[in-house]
Amino acid sequence: MLAQLLVGGLGTGCIYALVGLGFTLVYRTMRMVNFAQGQVFMAGTFLGLFGAQQFGLPALPLLLLVAVISFAVGMLLERVVFRRLYASHEVFVVGAIGLGVMIENGFRIVYPEPLPFPKIFGAGVYHLHGAVFQKTYLWILIVTLVLVAALHVMFAYTRTGRALRAVASDGEIAATMGVNVQRAIGATFGLSFAIAAVAGVLIGPLYFVSPDLGDMVGLKAFSAAVLGGINSVVGTILGGLALGLMEALAAFYISTDYKDLLAFAILVLMLLVRPQGLLGRVVPVKV
Amino acid sequence: MRAGLAVGIASVIALCILGLFASDYLLEIATLVLIESIAVVGLGFLTGFAGRISLAQGALYGVGAYAAALLVTRTGLPPLVGLPVAIVAASVIGTALGTPAIRLSGLYFVMSTIGIQQILWILLMHWSSLTGGPQGVRGIPALSVGGLVLDTPARFYVAALIGAVASYLLARRVIASRFGLFLRAVSDDELASATAGVAVLRAKATALALSGGWAGAAGFLHAYYLRYVHPDMFTLDLSVVFLTMAMFGGYRSLEGMLLATVILGGASEYLRPFGQFRLVAYGGLLVLSMMFFPRGLLAVLPIRWRR
Amino acid sequence: MMHRLAMLAGALMLLAGTASAQDIRLGTVIPLSGGGASYGASIQQGLDMALREINAAGGINGRKITLDVADDASDPAQSVIALQRLVNDNDDLVIGGWGSSQVLANMAVAERAGMPYIVVGASNPRITTSANKWTFRTLTNDNGHAARLAEVVSLLHFKKIAIIYDTNDYGVGLRDIFTAGLAKQGIKAVDVESYQTSDKDFTAQLTHIAAAEPDAVMLFGTLPAIAAIMNQARDQGIDARFLGAAGLSNEAVMKLAPQAAQHAIATAYFHVDTDATAKEWAARYQQAFAQANQAPRPSQAAPAYEALKLMAAPCLAQVGTDKDKLRLCLKAWHGTLFGLPPAEAHFDDTNQLLAPLVVEEVVGTEFKLLPGANQ
Repeated sequence: MLAQLLVGGLGTGCIYALVGLGFTLVYRTMRMVNFAQGQVFMAGTFLGLFGAQQFGLPALPLLLLVAVISFAVGMLLERVVFRRLYASHEVFVVGAIGLGVMIENGFRIVYPEPLPFPKIFGAGVYHLHGAVFQKTYLWILIVTLVLVAALHVMFAYTRTGRALRAVASDGEIAATMGVNVQRAIGATFGLSFAIAAVAGVLIGPLYFVSPDLGDMVGLKAFSAAVLGGINSVVGTILGGLALGLMEALAAFYISTDYKDLLAFAILVLMLLVRPQGLLGRVVPVKV
Repeated sequence: MRAGLAVGIASVIALCILGLFASDYLLEIATLVLIESIAVVGLGFLTGFAGRISLAQGALYGVGAYAAALLVTRTGLPPLVGLPVAIVAASVIGTALGTPAIRLSGLYFVMSTIGIQQILWILLMHWSSLTGGPQGVRGIPALSVGGLVLDTPARFYVAALIGAVASYLLARRVIASRFGLFLRAVSDDELASATAGVAVLRAKATALALSGGWAGAAGFLHAYYLRYVHPDMFTLDLSVVFLTMAMFGGYRSLEGMLLATVILGGASEYLRPFGQFRLVAYGGLLVLSMMFFPRGLLAVLPIRWRR
Repeated sequence: MMHRLAMLAGALMLLAGTASAQDIRLGTVIPLSGGGASYGASIQQGLDMALREINAAGGINGRKITLDVADDASDPAQSVIALQRLVNDNDDLVIGGWGSSQVLANMAVAERAGMPYIVVGASNPRITTSANKWTFRTLTNDNGHAARLAEVVSLLHFKKIAIIYDTNDYGVGLRDIFTAGLAKQGIKAVDVESYQTSDKDFTAQLTHIAAAEPDAVMLFGTLPAIAAIMNQARDQGIDARFLGAAGLSNEAVMKLAPQAAQHAIATAYFHVDTDATAKEWAARYQQAFAQANQAPRPSQAAPAYEALKLMAAPCLAQVGTDKDKLRLCLKAWHGTLFGLPPAEAHFDDTNQLLAPLVVEEVVGTEFKLLPGANQ
């Protein structure tokens, strides 16, 4: 019983972690929160659906394709839309939400009804300590680990990664060091889109796809990022996993009605007690 | 100053004439816009004058609506008693929940208001014994003032108009007062005003209380407008709408906020030609307005025309 | 002289465009955007089809019907404004109304304006009360569904029943009446679970249900949630029979839960096998909308079609467009609707149509009438 809950919670937790990473990457670089992140996740799911149904792509090529396309779209949108929204936090928040509304309702026109997602990860089920879970969960876990490791390697050891970190740390200084700041920012958005979209493909076979998929996931992934520390990559991942597990346990042992309340209560409490999150650093505000 | 007064009086007269001659359909749209303007002006205390943005105004609006609805359907008290109750309820809840968070920096404060919005919505939806839960509260009678029953669109429009004008005039008084000065100082430069002896936290908390109170008043009118309240009317989407209206008009300009409310509030109607693309167009309106009018609509007017 | 008058009339009609003052204006307030968009599209399809047939046959006493569509974006406040617009447009009557929250809000407009309003898309019992003068509702309401399901439980001798319900108005209402119906048979549910409409994962609820070992699981909710529940239930080894109300009778359920939904039982407003008319109508409907953006869903479009073709049209033919006469004609209406078990339907004193429900089960990729349940 507990095993079943843990598996489910871990799976959802990985998704929150990945989508949350999208928030974190943008926040670290721009100090802005992109509230269209949930809809990007949803768009990824539909993109995966399209690829699997129209072209019969198997899992790995599909994930790669979705990642590449979303990366490009993310860079494009940064250039065309997000770049014009940097005037202030509020402007960015409302602008991003507006973009999210467009994306969600755009998909709703093309896909008015919920649809099943092909079992691209295979139809098998595993048994572990009394828990029954689909192969998909294994894929979610593995892909999350791979992505996180890849990100870590990129940030720590590659020039591009260091450039992104430099821009996140201080854009002006990075520019003087010869970093193409604009491109780095674009790449950051591209990366956040790609990760969220991949998460969308991973979760496809578990549930049905519908345009409202991103609403709650977006808000909860955001709460998870705040929990772990929205300026900390590791923190966000741990926050995502923690939230996923806590939700699964709370739903069973406490109440299914109020399990959403948990995520938001955690959000508020965290902000009041320790706004930089469990693992975040306090960023001093220059006067 | 003169010009502003003239515009103001002209607008009110125009709105009165509208009330006399417009169709019920137009009156209903106008009523909704007027009610929303009250909530938006309330939000303006936080956004424009206290430098804090909130995505919880929709839920506080709902608190006001529910307070009015529950009071009139569960007790025998006359409808108008609900107005002060709605104002106080929304104000108290908004202040109680927001004050601990108000010392947070801007972005963190927004985040916490999202949490507050969701928590309040969940409570409205699931605390069935208090709020009726997903059934909502039905059977709200028509608003009656003294012996006058406001049960036609035209009559209720008058009530909404009076409410909106009162809200605007009151807001102007507040902003022109010493308190308003403190608020603007805090919003402009928190550190400096703190060193100048402004009780920063108290000023911000008062702004919270005011924005909650305005939301409650607007909620009261909403309950009597639809005569039915349901939690799904008071979601994060509504908070986003209110915030956009407050920002679209220009941070410090009450008049801008009213104009923005008219433009965005009427959007659902004049975007009808877009058919099923209506909501996509609405999202587009939000994005484009933020991209091209980040300082608000009236920012494009020369300084001379602005306050 | 006549020649000149005819030319003048022709010119005037050309100038006036397609709608002339003689046309009957039918209004409809439905969601074409937002969460209810697919249902609104189906309702519009039903109305369009009936309208085209009526107009092709010469209209009603020579007058064509035009459709005035108001999209309410599945939002109650907008629904009020939308219906008000239809009143403003001087429509003669309104058929539509989807979503209980929307209808509960917008019916006040119809009552106040004296607009005959036939609701074909909302099943909340509180929509029809003795205070209704202008608002009619043709769908059997949720109380009817829940009562019927309790009868089916008795018919099939289920003993251990679990309930899982959506915590919205729809789910809660069904749960209450069904539980009362069970109590009359001396049965108490072995487990009752709840979920939120937007939930995707039901592990917690299903674990409790599995532990109770039911032989039947009642699903009080709508797609896609109940399809996900069925899939996940089977994954967890629950092999009880599924039962549900109109939310389960949506043809899309076979797409979303092809294996898990097998032999699921649902109460519905329409089935093709009940009579020849239903079969023939469904075939025509599927053909007419095969290429539409919204795939044809006979069960969702039939109520709107029948409301216009079988109720509104004959009344319009009989009494014209005088609203008060229309209202009285509808109140006195009685007849049989195709797609339902045979019985005479009529409106009761709360303007609720009393008509039987179909009881069907999923067999393969179709709904089939449940043997022995549709007398």
